[in-house]
Amino acid sequence: MAAGGNVATKDTHAHPNEKIYIKVALWLGAITAAEIAISYIKMPDPAKIVALVFLSVIKFAAVVGYFMHLKFDNPALRKPFITGIILAGSVYTIVLLAFTLHSNTPK
Amino acid sequence: MAEQATVAAEVHQTSTGIENTKLAMWVFLGSECLLFGALISVFLLYRNHALGGARLHDVYDIPFTSVSSFVLLMSSLTMVLALAAIQRGDQHRLRTWLLATALLGMTFISGQIYEFTIFVHKGFTVHSSVAGASFFILTSFHGAHVTVGILMLLSLYGMSARGMLPQERSTAVEYIGLYWHFVDIVWIVIFTLVYLIPAPK
Repeated sequence: MAAGGNVATKDTHAHPNEKIYIKVALWLGAITAAEIAISYIKMPDPAKIVALVFLSVIKFAAVVGYFMHLKFDNPALRKPFITGIILAGSVYTIVLLAFTLHSNTPK
Repeated sequence: MAEQATVAAEVHQTSTGIENTKLAMWVFLGSECLLFGALISVFLLYRNHALGGARLHDVYDIPFTSVSSFVLLMSSLTMVLALAAIQRGDQHRLRTWLLATALLGMTFISGQIYEFTIFVHKGFTVHSSVAGASFFILTSFHGAHVTVGILMLLSLYGMSARGMLPQERSTAVEYIGLYWHFVDIVWIVIFTLVYLIPAPK
């Protein structure tokens, strides 16, 4: 039980303070503004897609890392979530590629 | 020190060193990635299949949806501030931030309902095409998740008001917070992939 008690405390890491949460939120707002600006700028579609996906990934990582505390909590908690993301990403990318290459659906 | 000892006493002893409920929450959120991944994929696959009717890119209003997105993003901030409040035993601020989060969520849902109404008036409906069906199923599923989150936040508010949510039970706020942040990150992905990225010509 004593060992279990020691192990259990691994889960309770220090979380960021409120100032850091507000800073992260301000950055998220700024990135959202940048995304909207990019969506209106005339530029080649591939470049626009890469820029928007990149900014989206930064926002996603900031919320998961800071607001959901995954950056500060027990690293073992990352496994089920990252597995879900990788599994979803890879399976649906394959499905999308397969359907895009062999699609006969009328538009 | 006394507060840390109380929180540590609340942590269940497990062989993994992680609370079972917290681990289960993360596994649940991982499985939700698969659900939303499927819905987003279906939309991306069929978004150009308008069958001659209205297309999403003809009817949507980016400035309006951007404000809704910002509102949901800020609700993540108020949620994490609610968690910080209960962890230091500040019940008044906990209730303030929980209520703020629920109100921001309600604002988002109201915006979504308004947006749906506009789309339907412009001829982009769930019956108009496969694109319409996939769009409304995806965004409605997300909206349903937000609604469930709002109900859970209001439950927490009620529990706190009745003195049933002491500092030692801060994990309840943490788990519902995880769900709420997940709903937010799903919208981050939907906003980019569905609204901002141009549809292939």
